[in-house]
Formats: sequence, structure tokens, C-alpha cells
Amino acid sequence: MTNALYIGIGPIIAVTLGVVVLLMVEVTLHPATRVWRLISFGSLISGFILAIVQWADAANNPQPIFSHMLMHDGFSAFGSIVLIIVAALGLLVAWPLVENDRARGAELVALVLLTTIGLMLLVSAANLMMVFLGLEVASISLYVIAGFIRKGARSNEAAVKYFLLGSFASAVFLYGVALVYAGTGTLEITAIAGPQFAGLTQTPVLLVGIGLIVVGLGFKVSAAPFHMWAPDVYQGSASGVTGFMNAGAKIAGFAALARILVVSFDAQRGDWGPALAVVAALSMVVGTVLAITQTDLKRMLAYSSVAHAGFIMTALVGGGAGIDALWFYVVTYAFQVVGAFGVVAAISGVASDESALKQYVGLGRRSPFLAGVLSLMMLAMAGIPLTAGFAGKFGVFRAALEAGYTWLVVLALVASAVGLYFYLRVIVRVYIDQETAEQPRVVITDGMRFALTTVAVLTVAFGVNPAPLLTVVSNALPF
Amino acid sequence: MTEFIWIVIALPLLGAVVLHFLGSRLGEPRAGLVGFGMVGAAFVIAAIAAVPFFQGESHGEQVFLFDWIEGLGAAASLLWDPLSAVMTLVITGIGALIHLYSIGYMHGDPGFSRFFTYLNLFIASMLILVLGDNFGLLFVGWELVGLCSYLLISFWNEKPSAAAAGKKAFIVNRIGDVGFLIALMLIFTTFGTLAFDVVLSHEAWDVNGIELGVGLVTAITLLLLVGGTGKSAQLPLYMWLPDAMEGPTPVSALIHAATMVTAGVYMIARTAVLFELAPVSSAIVASVGAVTALFAASIALKQRDIKRVLAYSTISQLGYMFLAVGVGAYVAGIFHLFTHAFFKALLFLGSGAVIHAMADEQDIGRMGGLRKAMPVTHMTQVVGWLAIIGIFPFAGFWSKDEILAVTFGKGGGYYVLWAIGLLTALLTAVYMTRWIALTFWGEKRYADDLHPHEAPGTMVLPLIVLAGFSVGVGFWNTPFLPSMEHFLEPAFEGVEQAHLPEGLVPWVLAAVSVGVAVVGAFYAYRRYRGAGAVELAPIGKGSWSLVEEAYRVDDLAGRFIVSPGRAVSNFMAFVVDRDVIDGAVNGLATAVRTAGERLRPLQSGFVRQYGLGLVAGTVGLLVWFASRGLG
Repeated sequence: MTNALYIGIGPIIAVTLGVVVLLMVEVTLHPATRVWRLISFGSLISGFILAIVQWADAANNPQPIFSHMLMHDGFSAFGSIVLIIVAALGLLVAWPLVENDRARGAELVALVLLTTIGLMLLVSAANLMMVFLGLEVASISLYVIAGFIRKGARSNEAAVKYFLLGSFASAVFLYGVALVYAGTGTLEITAIAGPQFAGLTQTPVLLVGIGLIVVGLGFKVSAAPFHMWAPDVYQGSASGVTGFMNAGAKIAGFAALARILVVSFDAQRGDWGPALAVVAALSMVVGTVLAITQTDLKRMLAYSSVAHAGFIMTALVGGGAGIDALWFYVVTYAFQVVGAFGVVAAISGVASDESALKQYVGLGRRSPFLAGVLSLMMLAMAGIPLTAGFAGKFGVFRAALEAGYTWLVVLALVASAVGLYFYLRVIVRVYIDQETAEQPRVVITDGMRFALTTVAVLTVAFGVNPAPLLTVVSNALPF
Repeated sequence: MTEFIWIVIALPLLGAVVLHFLGSRLGEPRAGLVGFGMVGAAFVIAAIAAVPFFQGESHGEQVFLFDWIEGLGAAASLLWDPLSAVMTLVITGIGALIHLYSIGYMHGDPGFSRFFTYLNLFIASMLILVLGDNFGLLFVGWELVGLCSYLLISFWNEKPSAAAAGKKAFIVNRIGDVGFLIALMLIFTTFGTLAFDVVLSHEAWDVNGIELGVGLVTAITLLLLVGGTGKSAQLPLYMWLPDAMEGPTPVSALIHAATMVTAGVYMIARTAVLFELAPVSSAIVASVGAVTALFAASIALKQRDIKRVLAYSTISQLGYMFLAVGVGAYVAGIFHLFTHAFFKALLFLGSGAVIHAMADEQDIGRMGGLRKAMPVTHMTQVVGWLAIIGIFPFAGFWSKDEILAVTFGKGGGYYVLWAIGLLTALLTAVYMTRWIALTFWGEKRYADDLHPHEAPGTMVLPLIVLAGFSVGVGFWNTPFLPSMEHFLEPAFEGVEQAHLPEGLVPWVLAAVSVGVAVVGAFYAYRRYRGAGAVELAPIGKGSWSLVEEAYRVDDLAGRFIVSPGRAVSNFMAFVVDRDVIDGAVNGLATAVRTAGERLRPLQSGFVRQYGLGLVAGTVGLLVWFASRGLG
């Protein structure tokens, strides 16, 4: 029992210590940026190891810990592992941004780590109050990250918009939590579905509460119609961190949504299933249609992430059976997002808020490496076979089919086909179009090269042989 | 050991990846050495893994790696049995020698490392093709080798003719691939999987209750044959192979003689269980093979390009292999594939050495007398020449005569096919003797400022090794000691095979065909030893002009297929597609785009408007949930 207590919170503690030490050392000693790197990656690596330990322990010994506040299970451990990897890759990509700002760089690192902590709480929470806390820790950190470039008007605008709309969504979520409490008298995720509430499953109070929770988390994962902040925020934020912001929120948001809906509200699946399907359909349509008209890669990626939120959601309409498909999609998509925004950061500059598509013309000649990674990410997002994107789409569509949502799958296939257009357009720009003017040479750091190589290799590896990851995610189920 | 057989594929694949990223940094000759090393290591591993087959201790195993798409039977699973072992050894063995040769041949080419990247990729693809344990993997390999072939034919893509040849190969192969793909779909709908162990096993059919009608099997096998004619350059889809000679000579040797073009033969041998049930298809396979053999041999009689003679010769020899698998002599077919790989690679590499020495001259009318300048190359080519025309005891004798004898033994209509085969043997002796006589013997006919010289060591060594094999490998399967038949037995378990006729017949037949070869060779020797002037006559003027121009099939194809095809495709493109389909697609695209443009103003940037969107969505969900709760 005691063991589970510490093993279950280990990864969160490790990263939290990293934040505390980093900020304290920075305030007192003003060390070289090398020390920031040492502390942040040190804490992430130890967090990663502890998460692996948690994964191993939870396999035999899943249980709620800290008075049913957190959950020590494979679901939490796997979420922490993925979040830490994404945070590390995100930091590698963002590192030039950190180093360029000697005065505030450490804060950015701390904010990324804080976001990670919030997101880990979100996936590990066993109580709706903890879900809210995790959501807020992550969200507030993300608002500040969005506004990190203080001199950039877009960045400031992004932060304010994100904050205002995000607070609104948080309030809605909190109201939903309150109504669930009103309907059931408990906030424990596992207890809500307990036998004592058997007669209360369809009360309006409870159902409206579920609806509001879906709105709150739908906002975080940028599902339509709660997505409107996404393009502005992702464009306004510094390119170096956009990938992490997007990927992290998707992972934890969907994990929390899956856990709450499947564990607490399985009895109401007939009610939330169709609603989720409509939200998913709307996201796919809106994201795809609006992505087509974009001339800026960052905005295009933002809309495409709305569409992907829709694709991921299709895994959930059938309830718990789709959780492994959801994990597979979310994880591989997170890598693709980090990769794609990483290339954006390399081309447009880590601090830039613009990345017009015409900047990418002739990239195939200027930097074969970046061109290759970007094209691979585009192919993966489009869902071309032998990339992880194909295996992911295959899985979520199958989950929806088995749940009987044929119309949703047909719509998703059409959206994927239309989506090919804007993904391939990027590749055409990169390889086929002729440069009209001389473009600057592209220089990338070793860390960025490492991060991009990693995501590229993983994207191909999980595409060619999805079985290992599928095996892992089939064990990453909520307790 | 067997469970690690995937390393044989992984090594050249790794080589391709490494060379792609680091090739230009490695430079010459290290890039070539990396490529050679990978393939050589793969050969060694394959040879070790094949030992149990030689000892007769293993009948082959499945090596399951991982599932790709469940339910399709298209797992990454390999089949290591005697048949795939023979193919693997040929591919990696000859492949390694050709890599070594290429280090010398491609010396100084700006695309040096790119060449080895493609070559390694080809080896890996070809191994996927022959090692795959299901039609899915077979098809992946099938398409990948097609891609590599395209990349390598048009390797010197600054030459328009090379680029065009690459395209031609690709398009002609596509036609075959369509047939192949339809065959796979039929197989999947019939058997419910693409895995060999279900599709190709009588027991599995019984277990799964699969009823196979003759009509269905005939349809499947004929469609497979369509695929095979494309890849193996048989009538009517052979046109791409002569043009494929635009690629560098090592490519012609490896892909367009020794390995890729034999994929069709391999595929038919692999699916022998199905062909056996479809006698009509088998007869068609045999006829296509025999006719192709004769047809291509007759064209080879009058070709002037040193490589085109060999290209038509390859088509002709592939015809023999089709004849063999068509009459049910699967071992004989694979045996001829095996021996042909050695002597044809030898002949191609030899002509590469000649082209190299002659400063890129390829017209054998302008050669002659190279025997003195290139003694070693000459000696190896003599071996190759004797092997291909089927003189005892060289490799071609054993394998070709086995095919002819088995065909003869089937009797009936097969006597005709046998006669065609024998006539082809005569023509083969004539055109190959002409080839070697015009190139190496007689007086020199090239300009005085050319000083041909022996090729460098890395090129000569593979020639000598291949020459040695061209003598030796024939003894693997002789009527006295049919070791290969024994070796391949497990792969053709349960398949009724055609055998040599009893008694003295095979000996008489062998004597006849050797006699025919000697006569042909003697005639050509007399005619072409000294001749120069005849050969230098401009192409297309004399009575042989039709043959010289390969029966003007390309013209005919141009007139009757390409032009109407272009007219049809113009109609399709500019009327049906642009106006009708594009109209619809553009309409959809425009609608989507317009919708996008209409929706864009919603993205005004005003927080209040975004908030409104949020509220609208929330209200929508609230109404839904509340209605569920209340109603």
C-alpha cells in the first residue's frame, strides 16, 4: 500500500523537484544555460524512469492512492511516460528559444515542466476535483507560454485570448463537475459508476453535468465548435513551443476525457456517445475545410489538429473498447505534431509567429533533412500506409465501426481524403515548386536534429510495425 | 539460425538507408564497399541458413516477424524453404559480385553513391519478394523491385532516352501489375487470406472448406500469368526490356537478366499448386514461353547493340523458363533460372567491360578483334557463350536440355512446343556466335585512336568467378544425379511434376540439341568471323530490315496502342475528366473552398465572437443532454 503511494506519485514528484530546483538555482546563482539543461532534462529523465517503474508496478497492483485522489494504474503510468517524452522532445526543439532569452529562458523551461506536471495530474486523477486542478495547473502554464514573446503583439493577443476563453471553458467544466456532484454526491471517478447510484443514471442534472464536462475538455483538445482559439493561439505562440503545447494538451485532454467517460459514465454511453460523434464529425469537417484555405503552415497545422481531434474522438464513441486505438492515435499524432512544428521552428525561427507556406518552397534543396521530416509528418498526418498515421486511423475507424457509427467513419474517410489535398500541397511546395528568390540557409541545432530524427524514426517504425505499441496500449487501460 | 533470416533483408536495407544519408560523405569507393559488404554479408548468412536444406534436415519454416494488418493475412512473415533459399542465394551471391564489379564500372560517376543506394534497395526489395510468406509481402516486393528498376533504368536521367526507357518499363509493368492485383483480390475473396500456408495447401483448403472450381482457378492463374508476363518480359509485355538497357550495365546484369525478370517464373513456381489445377493456364504459360523464346531469339539475330542482343536473349531464355513451369517441370524451370542467372550476368558484365574499354561504344559492328586487347574478358565470355548455346558440359546444356526433354516427353501438342524450343536453340547458337565473333574475333573495325584495355581488377574478378560458376553449376542437377530436384522437393511437395522421359530418349534429344547448337555456331562462325562490311550496312535497308527493327513492334505499338491510347486518354483527360469528373471534383473542391472562405470571417479574431461559438456549442450539447434526461 505505502509502496504504491510513492511509486504512483513518483514521476510527478521528480518533475516538480526539477521545477523547484531550477527556479531556486536560477534566482540565486544565475548559472549558465547548460545548468538549466542539466536540471530540466535530469528531472525529465528521472521522471521517465520512475514512470516506467510505475508502469511495471501498476500492472500487478493497480489501486487508487491518496484517499482516492490519484490513480495508480497502467493508464496513468503510460500517460506520464508519453507526456514526459513529448516534453523532452518539445524542450529540445524549443531550446534555442530558451538560450536566446538569457533573462527569462529558465522560466520558459519551468513553465514547460509545470505544464507537464499539470497534464500528468490530469491523466492520473481519480477524482474530478483533481482533474480540475491538473487542468488548471496545465492551462495557466500554457497561457503564460503562449505569451512568452512579450514584444510580439500576436503573442500577447494569443495569451489573452487563450486565457479568457480557457477560463470560460474551465468554468464550464467546473460547473459540470458541480452538477455531477449534485447528481451523485461524489467526485470520485470510480465511485460515480458505483451500485449505489444505479437508479440515478439518467437524471437531467447528471446528464447536463456530463455535457459540460465534455465541453470543458473538448475545449482543451480543440474540438469544434470549441476550437476557435486554436489557430490564433498556435500562430501567436513562439514556434519553438507550439508543438509541445498542442501535443501535450491533446494527450492529457483525451486521456482525461476517456477515463471520465468510460469509467464514470459508462452507463450513460447511449447519451454521450451520439453527442461525441457529432462533435467529432463537426471537428473533422470544420478542421479540414478551414485547413484548405490557409496560406500559413502554422495555421494550417492548427486547423488540421482540430480535424485530428475529431479523428481521435471517433475512437471514444464506442466507449472503453476504443481506448487502445485512442492511445495509439494520440501518441503517434503527438510525435507528428512535435515533428511538424519542430520543422516550422527551424524554418521560421523559434520565436517567430509566422510561417507562410511560401517560405517552404525549395526546402528540398536547401535542407533535405528538414524537407524529409516535414514530408514524412505530412504523409503521416494524411494517414498514408507505412506511417504511424495509417495504423492510427485504421484503429480508430475500426473502433467506431464496431460501435455501429458507420456514418461517422464514412465522413471521416471523406475528411481524410480531402485532407490529403493540403498535406500534399506542403510536399509540393517543398520539393516541386521553384524558388523565386534566394532563401536563407537553414541552420538547426543538434538537439533539434535529434528530436526530429527521433519522431521520424518512431513514425516510420510504428507505421511498419505497429504491434509493439499496440501491445503496450492494450495494457494501458484505466483501472 | 532460421529465425534470424530477416537479417538477410535488413542488411541491404540498412545499406540503402546509410548510403542515402551518408553516401556522398563516404565518397568513392567507400560507398561502394558499404553496399558490397551488406550484400556479401547477407549472402554469407543466407548460405549458412541454407545448410539444413543441403543436409536434408529441414523442409522449410515460416518465420513470423509481426502482424501488419490483422485479418488480411498480410503479416510480415517470411518463408525460408528450399525454393526461397535458392532465390536468395542467387540474388545475394550474384548481387554481391555485381556490387563489386560496379565499384570499378561506376568509377568517377557523379551519382556513385546514389547508384549503390538504389542497388542495395533493389536487393532488399527482391529479397522481400522471394522471402515473403504471403501474397501481400510478395506484392510489396513486386512493386518495390519495379520502382528500383525504374530508378536504375533512368539512372542517367539527363539522357532523354534513359528517362523514356524508365517510363516505358514502369508503364508496361503497370499493365501486368493490374492483372496481378486482380488475381490477389480474387485470391483474397476465395481464400479469405493472402497467406501462402492457406492458399497453397490442399490440407488447408479441406480444413477451411474451400471449394475450388476449375473456372475460378483458371481465372486466378491466368491473371497471375498476366502479372508474370509483365515482370518477366514475355509476350506481349516484353517491349520494355530491350529499352531497359539504357541503364548502367551492372543494372542490366543484375536486374534485367539475373534476378528481377525471373520474378514471374518464381511466382508461377511458388503457386504451382494452383497452376496444377488449371491445365489450360499451364498450357498457355508453356505456349507463351515457347513463342516468346523463338520470337525474341529471331530478333536477336540482327541486333547491332552489344547489350540489345543480350536483352533479347534474356527474353528468349525467360521464355524457356516459362515453357518449363508451363509443362509442369518446376524444378527444371528454377534450374534454368539458376544457371541462366550466372551465365547471363557473366555475359552482361563482359559486355560492360567491353563498353568500358571501347569508350562507351555499343555497336558490335564497330568492334572486332578484342580478343587480343582483353584476353581475360574474352576467355570468360567464351565460357558464357558455350554455356548459353548449350554445349556439353557447360551449365546451359544441363538446364535447357532438361526443359526440352521434359516438353518432348509430354507428347501430343507439346511436340510442337519442343520443336519451337529446338529451333530457338539453333537461333540462340547463331546469334550468340555472331555476337562473340563480331565483338572479340576477326579483325578490328574500330578507330585507331581507341586503345581498348583490360578492365580493372574489381571488374575482372567477378567475371572470373561467374565464369567458373557457369561451368560448375550445371552439375547440380544432372540426369545421373538430380541433386537440385532432391533439394527442391520439399518446396513442391504434393505437386505433380513432369519428369524426363524414360530410357534413351533424353540422350538422343540431348545429342540432337547439341548437334543443332554446333551447326548453328559453325554457320555463324563462318559467316561472321571476318565480316565487317555487311554488318556496317545502315540499319533498316536490307532484306533483314524487319528483324533488325525488332519487327517494328514499337512502331506498331505506337500506331495501334499508344496513339489510340493517347486519343482515348485525351478524350478522357480533356472531355470526360476535365469537364465531367473534374467538374464534379472541382465543384466539390470549390464548394469546400467556398465554404472555407465563408467560414473564415467567423474566425474574426474577436474574443467575443469566439466566446459566442463556445456558448453555442455548449448550449447545443446542453439541449441534447437535457432532452435525454427529461425525455
